[in-house]
Amino acid sequence: MINTGVFNYVNVLDKAADGSWLKNEAISNNIANVDTPNYKRQDVSFESELQQALKSSKYGTLDEKISNLNQGNNLSKIEAKTYTDSAEYSYRLDGNNVDIDNENVELASNQIKYNALVQAIDEDFINLKTVIK
Amino acid sequence: MSIFKSFGVNASGMTAERYRMDIISQNVANANTTRTEDGTPYKRKVVTFEEKTLNPTEFGTIFAKSMGQDVGDGVKVSGVYEDNTEEMKKVYDPSHPDADEDGYVWYPNVNIVTEMTNMIDSSRAYEANATAFTASKTIAMKGLEIGRT
Repeated sequence: MINTGVFNYVNVLDKAADGSWLKNEAISNNIANVDTPNYKRQDVSFESELQQALKSSKYGTLDEKISNLNQGNNLSKIEAKTYTDSAEYSYRLDGNNVDIDNENVELASNQIKYNALVQAIDEDFINLKTVIK
Repeated sequence: MSIFKSFGVNASGMTAERYRMDIISQNVANANTTRTEDGTPYKRKVVTFEEKTLNPTEFGTIFAKSMGQDVGDGVKVSGVYEDNTEEMKKVYDPSHPDADEDGYVWYPNVNIVTEMTNMIDSSRAYEANATAFTASKTIAMKGLEIGRT
């Protein structure tokens, strides 16, 4: 069970859910600081990192790529990271670049994404349970 | 990355916006106050916000920040200041008990339109925080559902 790789997908989905969670925190902080002078919005880069990790792989199928990600410490290398988005032009006089509408959209889409990831993890476990039965 | 962190972040946002709303209400209520405790007319008050970081000097905070695993701890009110830039309003009314020797009364530098605009802004920001709070709550509950079925 330990080395069969049955949890390969769950491990990757788990990482993605962590990234989504961190993104929710970042968006929450942006919304809380919508009226703070000179605050610059924060964002999380995870999708791009995971995409990179999957694209650069020499393996063809998704199964092989995912299994390769689970080898050694490949998975711990892709970590969701926050960064300060000061590049985005601030149209406000107080130097803050948070756009409340934009943040609300991000919040809603991130929520749906998190739900989808959790559902995918759940489906994986359901499949395993079916097999074990 | 703790479970209830984003709750605290949005709670701090709601607290700060509510406080700003209180001060705006105070300004509106005192828009015609010509005499305060020290005898001068009421001065408009302004709330300033700053980003909050709990334990900014702690090793864990600095480490998490440099690892890109920390997003900050919300917002806090850094202070309430009196608005000294806006001029007081001067109205000629010799019969007013607070009129000076030339018959002028000084009214507070509160502009009702500005206050109302700020109030709407504050109210919308409060709603946004409440929405974000609900979203965090929903995804936290969703996470608990793994393995239920």
